[in-house]
Amino acid sequence: MSQRLRLRRPFDTAFDAALLVAIAIMLVPAALSAAGTPKRIVSLNLCTDELVLRLADRSNIASITWLSKDAISANVVDLAADLPVNHGLAEEIIPLDPDLIVAGTFTARTAVAMLKATRFPVTEFGVAHDIADVRLGIRKMAALVGEPARGEALVASFDRRLAEIGTPAPGRRPTALVFNANGFTVGAGTLVDDIVTRAGLDNIAAHMKLGNYSQLPLEIAVRSEVDVLIISARRDGPPSLATALLDHPVLSKLGPKTHIVVLPTNLWSCGGPEVAEAIARLRAAAQDVVNSGASP
Amino acid sequence: MKLEARNIAVSFGQTAVLRSVDLAVASGEMVGLIGPNGSGKTTLLRVLANLRAPDGGGVTLDGRDLEAVGERELSKKIAYLAQGGDVHWPMRVGALVGLGRLPHRRAFRDQADSDTAAIERAMYAADVVSLRDRTMTHLSGGERMRVLLARALAVEASLLLADEPVAALDPLHQLRVMELLRDVARGGTGVIVVLHDLSLAARFCDRLVLIADGDIIAEGRPADVLTPASLARAYGVDIVCGVSEGLPFYLPQSVRPPIQGTP
Amino acid sequence: MNSTTVPENRVEPIGYAALLVMLLVAMIAALLASIATGYAPLDIGAAARDVLHGNDTLSALVLVQLRLPRAVLGALVGFSLGITGAAMQGLLRNPLAEPGITGVTSAASLGAVVVFYFGLAGILPLALPLGGIAGAGLSTLLLYGVAGSGASTMTLILAGVAINSFFGALTTLALNLSPNPYAVSEIIFWLLGSLSDRSLQYVWLVAPMMLAGWLLLLMTGPALDGLSLGEDTATSLGFNLARVRLLLIAGTALAVGSAVAATGSIAFIGLVVPHLLRPLVGHRPSRLLLVSGLGGATLTLLADIIVRLLPVRPELKLGVVTALIGAPFLFHLIWRLRREDR
Repeated sequence: MSQRLRLRRPFDTAFDAALLVAIAIMLVPAALSAAGTPKRIVSLNLCTDELVLRLADRSNIASITWLSKDAISANVVDLAADLPVNHGLAEEIIPLDPDLIVAGTFTARTAVAMLKATRFPVTEFGVAHDIADVRLGIRKMAALVGEPARGEALVASFDRRLAEIGTPAPGRRPTALVFNANGFTVGAGTLVDDIVTRAGLDNIAAHMKLGNYSQLPLEIAVRSEVDVLIISARRDGPPSLATALLDHPVLSKLGPKTHIVVLPTNLWSCGGPEVAEAIARLRAAAQDVVNSGASP
Repeated sequence: MKLEARNIAVSFGQTAVLRSVDLAVASGEMVGLIGPNGSGKTTLLRVLANLRAPDGGGVTLDGRDLEAVGERELSKKIAYLAQGGDVHWPMRVGALVGLGRLPHRRAFRDQADSDTAAIERAMYAADVVSLRDRTMTHLSGGERMRVLLARALAVEASLLLADEPVAALDPLHQLRVMELLRDVARGGTGVIVVLHDLSLAARFCDRLVLIADGDIIAEGRPADVLTPASLARAYGVDIVCGVSEGLPFYLPQSVRPPIQGTP
Repeated sequence: MNSTTVPENRVEPIGYAALLVMLLVAMIAALLASIATGYAPLDIGAAARDVLHGNDTLSALVLVQLRLPRAVLGALVGFSLGITGAAMQGLLRNPLAEPGITGVTSAASLGAVVVFYFGLAGILPLALPLGGIAGAGLSTLLLYGVAGSGASTMTLILAGVAINSFFGALTTLALNLSPNPYAVSEIIFWLLGSLSDRSLQYVWLVAPMMLAGWLLLLMTGPALDGLSLGEDTATSLGFNLARVRLLLIAGTALAVGSAVAATGSIAFIGLVVPHLLRPLVGHRPSRLLLVSGLGGATLTLLADIIVRLLPVRPELKLGVVTALIGAPFLFHLIWRLRREDR
């Protein structure tokens, strides 16, 4: 036993030394590259992937996450075609010698920590809390990738879409509740709450002092008797108990007074320009409620 | 009622435990099965009880093959008292004796009056009525064996096969259990009992079967079977035979030197 | 049950019939209490009237689609775990033999997980309980082959550890391979069990299988009584032990397999309930079966009520409560066994 231990130690030290030397060598070109339009952009997060794909030149994109090629989660599958993918691992990123790395604040934490420690330029994007944050995010990414004009264009088209949808009519708003997988709902101060409100609906979870995201028992969701129940997930994807909850027979038996809207999560999970589409669909649902005369 | 075994042969793997054994027992007689450890006594008893199929030969009950009689009917005709007396759950004596009525069970019906009467008779015969509400784990060895015997008696079978019922008992309880078995035989039940104690075997059994090395060495009345020559051959021990107050006794005296050429 | 003209040979504090009635009443009371428990007040009387008159009110909907399935499934699952625990303990002559410790519930979880997460239950809903049954049956066969009946406690426990580890690992692997990202964290459900939001469909799916399993297990009753005197004596009393083992394996698979497929594996019910109730039936294995079923149902319902009354969100898994009851019980068992050894 001790024989084996002794044999390991010299091998370990040699391996560590080799790794450090390799990293040091790779840092040299990074240090020498000038500031300006990044030429090797790496994105470690699905949401930053979308912004990068919409704003940067394809030739400047070194790698995006594998999730962007998954039709279920990604909005920009066609833009992502033929680009190299990563899985959020530092050892995939470092050999690419990126001059810009963008990541979310919650994902790939260990990889991001390691990359920051080795002095790679990493910029983190937080979660959007409202529509204003959506615009800020677009502009921030546009500046980072060196395409401010495209950023403004994207913001402008987003604002045009919002204008098309228009503002909700005055009067009492139909009540709504968001029901996610595992029964999670959204409270006040979140992007989803802002979207729901702009669509002309009253998110009752915002009045319940639930915090940003909390779990609601199915019974309470059913008893809430909201006008619009927003099911936020794909119901036809691969099964899990979390998503199976959204197929519970009680929801289908709620009767004509409750309108159920199924919104795929990828419309608003990222706080990108697609949220306009989410607002449009919810506005249509709100309109249905008003037209059917069922609103209070 | 007659139980007959012919040419019984049993092997465990390569080892032959019984070579070709014939045995018969009829109602009312008490047969003692004696012989050294490993001679095949318990195996023979289990074959007779249909707990193990022999590799050669067969057993008939009143002329019918045991297999043809069927396990249900057989369970009412043959009662088996296993060696050791294991009881896994600390049941009360009354309930335990009641297990002897299981062969007579009917679907969806609990104990009938006839069952209750049989249980009472068995407990009375085995003298365990006073122990009725006691738990098995709190009884002495002798009391426990009498309760298990009562369980076997409750079956009210034509045959009782008992494997070393007195092995772990003190002299008082040895005598009481053997007397009980003899009374059972006198009452018309055929009894086969495996014994180590030669004195008890001689005193209580009508007939003895001496088995050694898978073969029957001697069979017949105790006095004819328990000769110094037969005993020396079977056990490899010199036995002193004697009589006291009309009752025979047999005492192991000394180990015989092995015959030249044998292990 | 016995004739009263001859002196009784039972001295349990309660007669068998009286005990069954008491447990039935307790179970019904727990069932009603479970229906009355929820996350928002429900006027049960009004809701029940609505259901009977065919009124389509929200109260009626909550009662029939949410409260009732949860309570009924809790009773069904609890009954299955209780009766199977009693049967396994009777056959293996060991008070520690129960579906959780011996790994039967882990294997049932694997069967259910494979069927559910890879879409088979979507094609054929019956496949879900069948998956659980297949897993449970396989592991009971394995247990019997490895430990055998009359095996020492150590052999039994080791076999259970091996089976639990093996099937538990495979379950986690299956969840990791599932295409749905939520699957990985759902191992908690399968390990600890939950009655939350199970729909009426689950009740229809598993009830017939469970019922069949219970019947098979009840049929082993007299044989289990005979086995208390050992295998030879039991055979001499007219029982075909091979047939008994088969009945047990099939009954366990049907009852536990379908239970776990519906609610995940709920621990300790099959251990604690037979143990507590055994003295009340004079340690007779055959009587313990039905009694443990009713006791198991009652205990599971009570645990589920506690789960809903605790101010924890998301709702605590049922296995947490049963483990908090069962684990100290197991310690007590061990301590008592040690004392007896001295």
